[in-house]
Amino acid sequence: MNNFPGKTFIVAQHEFLKTIKRKEFLFMTFFFPLLLAGFSLLPAMLSGMNPAEDQKIGYIDMTGSFGFPESIQNEGLSLGSSETKTSVIEFVKYEETSDAKQALQAGQISSYLVIPEDFLETGTIEQYSLEKGSSLTGFELSAELSDIVVTSLLKGKVNESILNRVRDPVNIKFYNVGESGESSERSIADIFASFGLPIITAFLLLFSIFSSSGFLLRGVAEEKENRIIEILLSSVTPSEILTGKILGLGAVGLLQIGIWLAAVVFGSGYALPVKIEPNTLFFALVYFVLGFLFFASMMAGIGAVTGSLQESQQVAGIFTFAAALPLIFMQLILTNPESPFSVFLSLFPLTSPVAMLTRMGATTVPISQILASIFILLISVHVVILLSSRLFRTYLLMYGKRPKVKEIWKNIWTGSR
Amino acid sequence: MHIVEFENVSKSFSEKNILEDISFSVRQGEIFGLLGPNGAGKTTLIRLLLDIIRPDSGEIRVFGDFLNPVAKNRIGYLPEERGLYRKTGLLDMLVYLAQLKGMSKKQAHLNAEFLLKSLELDQYKNKKVEELSKGMQQKIQFLSAIIHEPELVILDEPFSGLDPVSTKTVMARILELKAAGKTIILSTHMMEQAQTLCDRILMLNKGRRVLYGPVDDIRRERGKNSLIVEFAEKGDLNAIRKISSIKKVIEHGKSVEIFPEEGISAQTLLEELVQKANLLRFEKTFPSLNEIFIETLESTSNE
Repeated sequence: MNNFPGKTFIVAQHEFLKTIKRKEFLFMTFFFPLLLAGFSLLPAMLSGMNPAEDQKIGYIDMTGSFGFPESIQNEGLSLGSSETKTSVIEFVKYEETSDAKQALQAGQISSYLVIPEDFLETGTIEQYSLEKGSSLTGFELSAELSDIVVTSLLKGKVNESILNRVRDPVNIKFYNVGESGESSERSIADIFASFGLPIITAFLLLFSIFSSSGFLLRGVAEEKENRIIEILLSSVTPSEILTGKILGLGAVGLLQIGIWLAAVVFGSGYALPVKIEPNTLFFALVYFVLGFLFFASMMAGIGAVTGSLQESQQVAGIFTFAAALPLIFMQLILTNPESPFSVFLSLFPLTSPVAMLTRMGATTVPISQILASIFILLISVHVVILLSSRLFRTYLLMYGKRPKVKEIWKNIWTGSR
Repeated sequence: MHIVEFENVSKSFSEKNILEDISFSVRQGEIFGLLGPNGAGKTTLIRLLLDIIRPDSGEIRVFGDFLNPVAKNRIGYLPEERGLYRKTGLLDMLVYLAQLKGMSKKQAHLNAEFLLKSLELDQYKNKKVEELSKGMQQKIQFLSAIIHEPELVILDEPFSGLDPVSTKTVMARILELKAAGKTIILSTHMMEQAQTLCDRILMLNKGRRVLYGPVDDIRRERGKNSLIVEFAEKGDLNAIRKISSIKKVIEHGKSVEIFPEEGISAQTLLEELVQKANLLRFEKTFPSLNEIFIETLESTSNE
């Protein structure tokens, strides 16, 4: 004869298998990341569809002191490490504006530049192009033109190294100073890992917590609505049902977040080299487990008290909104991670998992605050589980009218059954 | 042996008494009727029995002990509010419910397959409940109460919403369970079925015990001491009227109801009748459970 933890495990197993077969789960887990990836890759794909063409650009140098090269490579806008679209720009010298205009109208060149005599005073270069037709704009050309101007003005007047420094003044390399005083170079990947990864994790965490505690809410509300709860309660205790559901759906959430993280790591191998910090992973896991327990037990309580699925989702929406606050204030937390508001959000149990992970990405959060937030969350989880299991016992079998808040409050304290 | 014992059990919700000082016991192998109008407290009593809710006072023993999780496995329950997972396959659901009753997955599978086959439902075993007809769903619900081979089966209003054919089928199933040695608690307000099936009954009204005991005893105690008689020839009735020990005769169309004088039993009167007339049919009258039910409710409601 099976007993605890046997029945709890059976409930957990049932919930796990039932949920991962749900269409909503499959959609959230597999299609959703693709959708996100699609959105972030869209701009790159669009720009890739419109590659820069090779062009001829004419110029009239009225100062007579510019040394235009015959052609340059234009790197255009490129994203990530994907192959860059380069185009060749040929420069054609004209003596008279009228010649250039003719060539432009004949389509021999896509635009022409006029460097006026007073260029040294004004710094203005004029670009002429047809109303229709594609030409690199001055904006796109300005980096190349600046380079040409600097080279023309300084060549022969200063030595080569000064010239190079003026052309390309600063390259910043990032170093971390370790505790023992040694320095190590920081790559883009390191910066991304310490900044981007916690935020991505925070996002995934929130989505995963929402979706799996949402499944829990739906499950409880459905079981209550279609009355099967009565059969369940004749076989297992309310706390076995509650624990089993939380374990089963927690496993679903972990599976989901695992798939997502794997996708991030795998997918980012192409876009950005990522190194996952064990610390970040550890805290992500801690916050996931606690955050999930907190929300899931809250959802179970709500599902037990309310009479129908629809009603329960309305009530749950209030708490879901509170939990989404860190996303709404994401920018504030990122730019001002030490502000009292940011600190509050990272301590308040409804918002702390996401807010704290975001702050950890933006700054070095004092360990005391991390511990405080985990401690507060732990206590809250304990309290919510206690309250929810009381509500679970009292209200699972009460159909029809939703009880008044006052009655619920009273029953929470008396725990009547 | 007593399978279920209630001793002075009371339960209230929000200061409203649902059950007051209820005592009764259920014997092994009997069909025990739990009767009463809607709102009498029948479902609350069952939930107390199943330890879904706890009593305010009094003691409840099941299988001779306070209900523990293992004992719960020996009980099958068909709730009044029917419920099944709508989107789960039949077989999977039955197996899950049996597993929750402590049965191994393998055995649960075997039982589910067997039961579905016996009801000719095996071709639907991978269908979802919502795809089945209402009648089939009711059969599945019944199966879910007995799949784990319980010793005590609690059926809360098993006939509600059933057509006469299905009612007959369910009655046959209940008798099969009894023949197999199971104890059955049958909660219903269908008195005809209760009278046919139940060995003993407990009748509740407004949370109180108003009748308790063997069905036959209850009916006999409330017997009206009269005879229902049908004569072969019409003329016999006039001869009968002259018998001195008859107090009153009431004609009911083809048959007549005859009441003996005080101190004379229906049995003595019958002997006299047989000598004087050609009887086609006679029976000693007992009130039906239905009559007792209505009478009891009326008398207890006026208190």
